[in-house]
Amino acid sequence: MKAPDRERAIVEVVDRIVETTRLEAKSGGLSVEDLLADTLYFEQQRLKHAPRDRDNNGYRKLYSNLRRGLARASVSEQVELLRQATDRFAREVVGKFDPRVYAFTTRVLPVGAGLMVNAVSPLSLLSRLPDLPNLKDQVVIRGATDTLRALSDKGTVILAPTHLSNLDSIVLGFSLFLLGLPPFTYGAGLNLFSNPLLSFFMHNLGAYKVDRRKQAGLYKRVLKEYATVSMEYGYHNLFFPGGTRCRSGAVETHLKLGLLGCGLQAYINNLKHGKPQPNIYIVPCTLSYGLVLEAATLIDDHLKAAGKSRYIIEDDEFSKPRQILNFATELISLDARIVLNISEPMDPFGNRVRRDGTSEDSRGRPVDPSRYVITNGGPGHDLQRDTEYTREAGRGVMRALRRDATFLSTNLLAFATFCLLRSRAPERQFFRFLRTAEDLGGVPMDEVYLALERLRDALQEKVSSGELGATPVPFGFDPQTVVSDGLKYFGTYHTHEVLARRGDRLFPGDMKLLYYYHNRLTGYGLEQAIDERLRGAP
Amino acid sequence: MTAPVTTAVKPIGVLGGGAFGTTLAHLTGSNNQQALLWMRNADRAAAIVRDRANERYLPGFKLSENIETTTSLAEVAERCQLILVAIPSSSFRTVVRDLGDHLRGDHVLVSATKGLERGTFARMTDVLRQETCCLKIGAISGPNLAVEILRGVPGGTVIASAYEEVVRMVEKPLHSPRFRIYASHDLLGVELSGAVKNVLAIAGGIARGMGFGDNTLAMLISRGLNEMTRLGAILGAAPETFSGMAGVGDLVVTAFSELSRNHRVGRGLAKGKSVEQILEELGQVAEGVPTARVVKEWSDAHGVRLPICQGVYEVIYEGAKPAAALEKMLSLPAMWEAKSTDIS
Repeated sequence: MKAPDRERAIVEVVDRIVETTRLEAKSGGLSVEDLLADTLYFEQQRLKHAPRDRDNNGYRKLYSNLRRGLARASVSEQVELLRQATDRFAREVVGKFDPRVYAFTTRVLPVGAGLMVNAVSPLSLLSRLPDLPNLKDQVVIRGATDTLRALSDKGTVILAPTHLSNLDSIVLGFSLFLLGLPPFTYGAGLNLFSNPLLSFFMHNLGAYKVDRRKQAGLYKRVLKEYATVSMEYGYHNLFFPGGTRCRSGAVETHLKLGLLGCGLQAYINNLKHGKPQPNIYIVPCTLSYGLVLEAATLIDDHLKAAGKSRYIIEDDEFSKPRQILNFATELISLDARIVLNISEPMDPFGNRVRRDGTSEDSRGRPVDPSRYVITNGGPGHDLQRDTEYTREAGRGVMRALRRDATFLSTNLLAFATFCLLRSRAPERQFFRFLRTAEDLGGVPMDEVYLALERLRDALQEKVSSGELGATPVPFGFDPQTVVSDGLKYFGTYHTHEVLARRGDRLFPGDMKLLYYYHNRLTGYGLEQAIDERLRGAP
Repeated sequence: MTAPVTTAVKPIGVLGGGAFGTTLAHLTGSNNQQALLWMRNADRAAAIVRDRANERYLPGFKLSENIETTTSLAEVAERCQLILVAIPSSSFRTVVRDLGDHLRGDHVLVSATKGLERGTFARMTDVLRQETCCLKIGAISGPNLAVEILRGVPGGTVIASAYEEVVRMVEKPLHSPRFRIYASHDLLGVELSGAVKNVLAIAGGIARGMGFGDNTLAMLISRGLNEMTRLGAILGAAPETFSGMAGVGDLVVTAFSELSRNHRVGRGLAKGKSVEQILEELGQVAEGVPTARVVKEWSDAHGVRLPICQGVYEVIYEGAKPAAALEKMLSLPAMWEAKSTDIS
């Protein structure tokens, strides 16, 4: 957020939260005292294990005062304490955007590998700059780019991408720059701020800090309110609707709706305040990588938790600078491209939006979105109704992400091979199958090619029926090329080879990784195209 | 820019001048609210206002003075915020698509039609969502024999919607000391119940028409309820919905009552009449007839066993003799009741 807006936003966030809490308390909700006590409890729990750095010591001092004051505070004093605690959170969250630094940052960013390794050290980054290829050669941006550009001038955009890797926000930040768009505001986990240089760039690219260890309800309110206020100020937002990196490698099916809801609140507030450009546009997009930096850790987590995410992974590949360097080098040497697919934008109610900013219904008839939020003759909030509207928009985002997903050679080859292996042992318990699939003796190459041809036909059918977008395989689907490209990628970067060809057969190496890359194509009922016995596979 | 919105009391729109549409308009009018009833046929629309009666579908009943009629969907959209849609499922989409040309986001649409769309298996609220810009959508369903409601016999219905605003808006014109409104968030369960019980009502009519006793009917009702509930569970509905007013409540009334059109279809089939002949004599739509085919096609496609619905389908569409269909159903292997799986 730009410096002039920063202080204004903090005041606005604090005022709104204090006011809302007072109103809720009056109507029988959580009292100010209870909210403060809740904050104290969760924060003291967190601080028990937190390091004694400047930040945390500041919090310790604040909570010590708060604890002493709360015991004897009158209602108005409680409100003042709430104001102080909220202000502290708000100041931590709000970013420090500087247009001059942004200009500098975006000049540095195009040096792709440099960007990716800048977590290593400033010196390392600078020493490599002259030799490194340009990131813009690696990123392919396609889809409704013109509409996105047009809408960014007509209202506030919420970009809602799939989330595979911590590199996503950096790739997205640079892609937005390539599209000629201003920086988007987004919440980023504290681990992305751990390196001072990266933290500096993140702040100035529009990121604000999200500390997932802070479990207090008040902190979450601050995050939401800050996002709402930033949208009202016209800052485009980026938010990962999956909430966290997808552990399984599949396209997200369970979305967290928090920031979509903020978009609706911002829209209603804009209408109430008579803003000239009140509209909020949600733009789903999918990011696809031939190789995923953190694939091994993510799929491990997915399998361990049997689908229940641990939520915070602090020791993955992204925290190992050497690994990022290796990954970036491999990616570049393979000429691996990252595909960003921009879907059709929608309004906060899930209606498609045209390039001129007009919402339309499923029959293409224009819709005035402001009519959805009329309460007692004018625009107004209604918590229950607005929650349902947000679910509606969430369903729209989910449909778009699934429809516009793209599949690269690693996904296609992994899917075909995994299904062929599975069809050889359909009765085997799944986890046992993953552990023992090597015993199956691999699969003949002829079968792999045939399976890929069937997969290509099945994908084409999905395209014809509209279940998938026009080109789900962006670089052409020639089975021979898919196999050679896929094997080339799988033979590098990952510590364990994912697949290996020996003679006229293909053998699985790391089954968990094979499963991970295969998962991208699950949920479309494509398994039965490879083998009828896999009909209805989960 | 937000268009100005008037807050004056608006009439309740009702689409469809059949028995249930007219009844909803009458209930509204009886609660001292204006109802605007849309019908295709201008002569019949005029006759309702002139005679205060719908002689074709509800002969002999005096209708409320608070009913106006129109043949213009644009007028309904212009004057009403809440619109109840009681159009047969076969023409539901066409009418709603036309209505969609005139709607805005603040309109509230409520389906009063108990059916499923052939080919898509869409519920009527799916059609409302697909063909209009409206999001505030709901459905009413329950043991609601039009004739009994008009006579003032005590009863009730369920209004289902994800939006509490929809529930509140429907409650106002319809709730009375003689007609109680219950609310539900399970739109899917309420609509499925309403649609599938029509098929089961035909089975009930067949059993009665063949002279079978209460044992048979009780079995049809309880096993029919099991079919409805299993179907609902597969599709994600709440099981408890099926034991409520819109589920077992509606099933009991249609399976037993001769006032039910679907029950009468079953009785006619038992007497050896063709469906065409029965429907002609009935002079009205019996939603169980098309729904039997929709449910059969769906259960075949998904490999779900629904023997009673299957039997009704065979009688209506494959010319099976009712006795043979019943015998086929009874001769199925013994099974665990709760699991609906064979004992062997």
